Amino acid sequence: MAYAYLFKYIIIGDTGVGKSCLLLQFTDKRFQPVHDLTIGVEFGARMITIDGKQIKLQIWDTAGQESFRSITRSYYRGAAGALLVYDITRRDTFNHLTTWLEDARQHSNSNMVIMLIGNKSDLESRREVKKEEGEAFAREHGLIFMETSAKTASNVEEAFINTAKEIYEKIQEGVFDINNEANGIKIGPQHPTTNSTLSSSQGGQQAGGGCC
Amino acid sequence: MSDSRVSQRPEEDAVPADAASSPDVSTDVAPTRKARRRPEVQTMAPEKEEGSKREEEGSKVVTRLKLTTVSTEAQSGWGYWGSWGKSLLSTATATVATVGQGLGQVMERAESTLGIPSPTELSAQMEEEEKQRGEKTSVSKSDTDSSLGGAMGMLSSLSSVVQSTGKTVISGGLDALEFIGKKTMDVIAEGDPGFRKTKGLMNRNATLSQVLREAKEREELQTEETESADSDRKLVAHYGVLFDEFQGLSHLEALEILSRESESKVKSVLTTLSGDQLQQLKRELQTIKEPFSLVEFDEEEVDEDKGGDGAGCEEELTRVLDGLGVPAAADHLITVRACKDASAQISHMTSEHVDRGEEEVEEEQEEEIHAAAIRTLAELTARSIQLFHKLAEKILSSSCEADAAVLSRLTLVLCKQVSLLSKKFTSCLTSAGTNDRGDVLNPMITNVFLEASNSASYIQDAFVLLLPVLEVSHIQRRSSEQQGTEPIQSEEPLNRETDVGLK
Repeated sequence: MAYAYLFKYIIIGDTGVGKSCLLLQFTDKRFQPVHDLTIGVEFGARMITIDGKQIKLQIWDTAGQESFRSITRSYYRGAAGALLVYDITRRDTFNHLTTWLEDARQHSNSNMVIMLIGNKSDLESRREVKKEEGEAFAREHGLIFMETSAKTASNVEEAFINTAKEIYEKIQEGVFDINNEANGIKIGPQHPTTNSTLSSSQGGQQAGGGCC
Repeated sequence: MSDSRVSQRPEEDAVPADAASSPDVSTDVAPTRKARRRPEVQTMAPEKEEGSKREEEGSKVVTRLKLTTVSTEAQSGWGYWGSWGKSLLSTATATVATVGQGLGQVMERAESTLGIPSPTELSAQMEEEEKQRGEKTSVSKSDTDSSLGGAMGMLSSLSSVVQSTGKTVISGGLDALEFIGKKTMDVIAEGDPGFRKTKGLMNRNATLSQVLREAKEREELQTEETESADSDRKLVAHYGVLFDEFQGLSHLEALEILSRESESKVKSVLTTLSGDQLQQLKRELQTIKEPFSLVEFDEEEVDEDKGGDGAGCEEELTRVLDGLGVPAAADHLITVRACKDASAQISHMTSEHVDRGEEEVEEEQEEEIHAAAIRTLAELTARSIQLFHKLAEKILSSSCEADAAVLSRLTLVLCKQVSLLSKKFTSCLTSAGTNDRGDVLNPMITNVFLEASNSASYIQDAFVLLLPVLEVSHIQRRSSEQQGTEPIQSEEPLNRETDVGLK
């Protein structure tokens, strides 16, 4: 239940690329072929373990629709990691990556770890964007890259966890100031040293005692 | 401190009826920051060491509440009452006058329905006892027990009295008295009751989500510690943890972000205007603001609700949501379903209680009911905040209108539902715990009422967060309406992506 760190993630990308499905696969381990359009932002959370430490991922799954863009931008701030998702079967979603990236960089903190995700890798026959293209784009912009399938769960865990590992490394290197919550990282609740009142209070049911 | 307070308002000491007859004070329930100070779990259990201190504070409060029946002798009287008083009174957000009113009626009711001697008689009796024993302290065990038994039976009627007179009024006893005492002192110290209405809107030092997150973390720690150290006392349901599980915290955080950004947008627009334009816009914004200061429980409505069985809740919610003019969606249904589930659960537990009822299952059953109550309150509150968050997003994205008055109505319906739920769960608890075990039952009941009170104030606060959103939406509509005729100054800062306060 308790965690060492909490990382806030955002998932961004064009509408219909599978952002909510990725989240659902990661948090619930299931796939839902038909998904309601996300309004604004939805949430998910899951605990993972990195380097023996419990880390809670708090994931903000944003709406891809243009009409929500100005709202979802407000949510970028305070995220430690971002999953930037495109659909390998739709070239336009890949073409829009630059815009998404600019947006993300502009509205978030500079250390945010961004993972580029080419989703729907199970639909090989309909592929429009080659894996190499994704890799090249990621290399050029300093992102991590993976192809995933929310349907078959291929690489979904890895995508979320590798992002967390990268953030964790940055913390170890001292790049992230973990005391600044604007970085999207929180330290887990600290154990206080004393808590004696709980046990001593149990006998005190007769509250009528001494009055003054 | 109590002295200075009394001297500030001496006239009320002399005329107790004044408190009940000043409606402008008693209808004031704007949420205040203090209401959200969440209780540590361990304070639920009575603490002997602090007993005398609490009694002192309790009697201060009583004195302050001008219940002339419980006056200076009340200190010994409270000693007697101490054990059952825990489950009686309180409120998180009501004003002095409301509390006074509620207390007065609680006491009247208690006296008339149970034949418990009046506080004055109690005090006199206590004094006699004290004289006889030559000491002013201990209450005999049998006295405590008998008063406890009586208190159990009247709890439900008490709570309904409190709830119909107060607003977001809940229970508490000495813990709560202490709480109210401190809180009302703060209120009085401010010396300006009207200011409290605006305080919620203007003065935010800690955001609600921060407060709740801290509470949740505290609860998580406590759970761990109790599990490892103190296995026999496994309590049970933690509101904050559950609230977070239902993503209430996240929705609240997101709503706060939208509210903050809207607020700064409104400010930046206002700075670009001057003269008549500025006055005009301010007037318009004022009309949006008005329903926000009117959020309060309408007691008559709680009364008229079909004897409080809450069956009409879903329909009422649906009706209010339909009136919003925002396209209905899944989150509407989720909120309605949360209501429905709660009602079903309560009736299920009530019938279950009839089926079993042996003594050994009682405690287990009480814990179950308590856990279900806390869980239900946490879920309904989280869903309500989710609803407000989604409304804010829809209003901001599609520039659709949402009437502030309807939103205010929605807030009331949700708060009413919280209040009804807590009432039902506690009467469920009371009937489950027929045995004389007030020490187990009372903290649970207190806890349910307290969390219900908190729930209502979170919902009201989330509602207040919508105000800047509505203002921005109004300004946007306004500027797009005027765009056809003449370009106005406010257009520019709205249409560019305003990042004021972002970096």
